[in-house]
Amino acid sequence: MTVDPPTVPTIDRSAAKLLVPVAVGCAVSLAIGVYAKVHTPTGIAVNVAGFSSPQTVKVWLATGAFLFAIAQLVSALVMYGKWPGVRAPSWIGMFHRWSGRIAFLLAVPVAMHCLYALGFSSYDTRTLAHSLLGCAFFGAFTVKMLSLRKSGLPGWALPLLGGLVFAGLTGLWLTSSLWFFTTSGITF
Amino acid sequence: MKHKGPLITLLAGLAVAAVLLVLSMNATNSSKTNTAGNAAPDGAVTVTLSAAPLVSSPPKTAAPTTATAAAQATYAGSTNGGAASIAIAVRDGKAVAYLCDGNRTEAWLQGTATGGQLNLTGAREARLTGTYDAAAAKGTVVAGGRTWTFSVVQVKAPSGLYRASATVRGAQVVGGWIVVNGKTVGITTVDGEPGPASAIDTSTGQTTLAGEPVTATPVDGSGL
Repeated sequence: MTVDPPTVPTIDRSAAKLLVPVAVGCAVSLAIGVYAKVHTPTGIAVNVAGFSSPQTVKVWLATGAFLFAIAQLVSALVMYGKWPGVRAPSWIGMFHRWSGRIAFLLAVPVAMHCLYALGFSSYDTRTLAHSLLGCAFFGAFTVKMLSLRKSGLPGWALPLLGGLVFAGLTGLWLTSSLWFFTTSGITF
Repeated sequence: MKHKGPLITLLAGLAVAAVLLVLSMNATNSSKTNTAGNAAPDGAVTVTLSAAPLVSSPPKTAAPTTATAAAQATYAGSTNGGAASIAIAVRDGKAVAYLCDGNRTEAWLQGTATGGQLNLTGAREARLTGTYDAAAAKGTVVAGGRTWTFSVVQVKAPSGLYRASATVRGAQVVGGWIVVNGKTVGITTVDGEPGPASAIDTSTGQTTLAGEPVTATPVDGSGL
């Protein structure tokens, strides 16, 4: 009786393709964190017209980014067929890409203001968590973007990375905008 | 065939960040409201503008605030626990604060008061963050490696924050006084070395610095 050579497990090296994206993402997080810590916060930065203060601008940009992030989560679930009873429409990929881009681009000005005007902060749990999440989020986003360009990744890679990015942005929103709304009310 | 989209997304974010950084640097330079200046000798906090951040991200966010905060106000009182006193003067979006234990520890801080949010820095990495409204200010101040929390109310003259500076026999002498309901806490530094402050007459500002008669002035938030 011949026994199957194929049962010898072939070592799956597809995850190794994540190495470079992860390394770059770590470098991004580190660079942001170091800049935030070393740079002397100015207290001010360029402002956006139409809002009562730079804080409200940030709060609403971040809230916009968070809403698009929810769209990201939903469209990803649909794409992967994890939303019961919904078949992925043909435009879902396009929708996922563009909602992600918009979310990211909304988050960038918020982050710039944080970095430039406020810096890395650890006065209390909220600001420390927010600072760490901010660094982690843009690193994770970088990993996700770079990973999208790789073919042959393990099936869990993109959902995991996407989940991390979503969790990061959610944490950022909770420690900033939600906190603002609960302490200051809904203001524009 | 590699997809270019994700890379373009990243680069677009980087480009937006770069543009905002340049705009922010211009905003900072032109309005000069940047942080920390301060009396203490080793001051000169240069805003480091080099090292462009990569994509970008950040700490800290929104600010708090309730109601309308006064355009000009002074808040003063003891820090929580009573170990030191603090006074914060706010005027037109700027703020000056002085932390003083009347003995060895003191810090002058300058920064912003906008949208109900206080954000001040001073020499030797002193920092103050907090919130304020028409009635009170509260928050956290870090100086000399220690942290105090405070919750103080608005005060009216003659209570408030007073400061005097002079060059006496070649030494830079700076005095700070926090007056709350007739009770005064102060420190005089000689070339940065803290020591006891002389009594101050809040009606005229008359006091002495290192033996020299000087006139201290009430500090509002517009600067030192």
